[in-house]
Amino acid sequence: MNTARLGHPNLGCGVGLRSVHFNYLLDSHPQVDWLEIISENFMDSRGRARHVLDQLAERYPIVMHGVSLSIGSIEPLDFEYLRKLKQLANEIGALWISDHLCWTGVNGLNTHDLLPVPLNDESLDHIVERIRVVQDFLERPLVLENPSTYVAFAASTFSEWDFISRMAIEADCGLLLDVNNVYVSSVNHDFDPVQYIESLPHERIVQFHLAGHTNYGTHLIDTHDGQVIEAVWELYRLAHQLTGGAATLLEWDAKIPDFPILHAEALKARDYVGAPTGSSSNREPEVIEPEAFAISTPIHFMMSGGQ
Amino acid sequence: MSEQLRDLETIEHWMQAVITNPAGIAGGLASETARQYVDISTDEIEKVVTRSGSLSAAARLAIYGHAYFARLQECLRVEFPILLHALGDELFILFALEYLKNYPSRSYTLNRLGENFPRYLAESRPDAGAPLGERESWPDFIVDLATLERAFAEVFDGPGSEGLSLADRDALLNIPIAELLCARLAPASCLRLLTFRYPVSQYFDAARKKENPDLPQPANTYVAMSRRDYVVRINELTQTQYELLSALTTGSTLGQFATGQPDQQPFVATARDWLGDWADKGFFQKLSEPEAVEPESTRMLSF
Repeated sequence: MNTARLGHPNLGCGVGLRSVHFNYLLDSHPQVDWLEIISENFMDSRGRARHVLDQLAERYPIVMHGVSLSIGSIEPLDFEYLRKLKQLANEIGALWISDHLCWTGVNGLNTHDLLPVPLNDESLDHIVERIRVVQDFLERPLVLENPSTYVAFAASTFSEWDFISRMAIEADCGLLLDVNNVYVSSVNHDFDPVQYIESLPHERIVQFHLAGHTNYGTHLIDTHDGQVIEAVWELYRLAHQLTGGAATLLEWDAKIPDFPILHAEALKARDYVGAPTGSSSNREPEVIEPEAFAISTPIHFMMSGGQ
Repeated sequence: MSEQLRDLETIEHWMQAVITNPAGIAGGLASETARQYVDISTDEIEKVVTRSGSLSAAARLAIYGHAYFARLQECLRVEFPILLHALGDELFILFALEYLKNYPSRSYTLNRLGENFPRYLAESRPDAGAPLGERESWPDFIVDLATLERAFAEVFDGPGSEGLSLADRDALLNIPIAELLCARLAPASCLRLLTFRYPVSQYFDAARKKENPDLPQPANTYVAMSRRDYVVRINELTQTQYELLSALTTGSTLGQFATGQPDQQPFVATARDWLGDWADKGFFQKLSEPEAVEPESTRMLSF
């Protein structure tokens, strides 16, 4: 495949659409390059959330990002879910649909977490086949994100970057490279994040994610609750160089600031395009005491807002 | 079984059983469900999950185990803020944990996580087995409040009447009385009629205004919940209003309902005003074509 980003445009610097910012976006019409929605928050909505989305979709490019596809699960694919996903994408003109390389539950249960799969041939074959089925159903390429993970399996035989590379090529799908997730997982699994990013099929990277995380000393948790640290920005610089650039999105889902602060953090990505020019003050966050547990994938990432 | 032979299905079933066990990772490992797939002790976890340079395999699994309950409890706190206010943090978390054990999420969306919470609270009340007359009343308040909050969430995000033609007051009041008595009023799709054993809508309003309301005294209350312009409204009703609205929204006519009232003519005059008010509030989608006047109804009402 020769087409960068599967032919998708580099949308620039976007932010995740969260309900706390609905009114600001509707009233102020800030100059934002694009918005990413959590698909599940709008698939069934016939209330204000959907009403707001319909208005914003007329003004901003929209990308859909899901959390319940469960592409790695041994459960059968949920075609009613896929039907709703496709319908929403068509109705709002979503530019692409992404989800995560993960599973969310078995036996009909949804843990609402992005759980890791063992990285081996069996998982690869299973996931590649399911991606193909999903892509045929959606009639568009799927874009899959590398999740932050906290366990690894004895049954794994691939590195994560090898697994993801083979998955993307064999299934002919796109990649959403979450640079913060690479960093978080590199600390949690003792691997080199630079090697990870250098090893991916860069032409398949459609989008980047950036976010803050929480440092527990012994491990990191992907909490989406603060600024992006300098090490992640530098990985982003590398990824940008290797890919030639792709749509970049900042996720901020806990302790969500006012929109201008959020947007300003997203726009910092423009400072990390090209060669380094100086140092930043965003070091690794302070170590949090173990009893102050944070939750990975915070709920504002997954829930639509109330009245 | 060697770790190489542990397939994806085995690992996913085992991991889910371990991390969703409320007794923690050790309890999850020892559970019958987990052992059905991988029968190992805490000391043997590394046969399935590897350790990192800083954390044991058990500690790494515990990150997911902790997050499972913490995340879903937090979702329930967001969906039921007034119930949380009424119960207090500690008691709410206890109920939420037990609810999640009994009604784990089976939906792709967290917006449905709390749909069975009122039912669970009713099922799990401490005096559930006692005869109705011997039950304590405070659990009724808890169940009613949870029911109200869940209905509020469903009306907020469910289908509404925005963009649709609604019956307006003038159109409705201009209908000749004989036709109005026979009219079939289609309810707005967002209209919910609810009955409670406690005045929970008043408590709900006060708590939302941060007025720190006391636990109210029991009192049968009736509520119509609806939505206009994407804002949910809670309207208190009298028992008769509730019964009339219930009848109208299930296909009866005003004429049919009025036959059960002791003073039919003044009742119809009053009910006509109610219909006008309810039309203003967007309770009715549209007026169906008037049916032929039923002579019997007309005769009974002596118009």
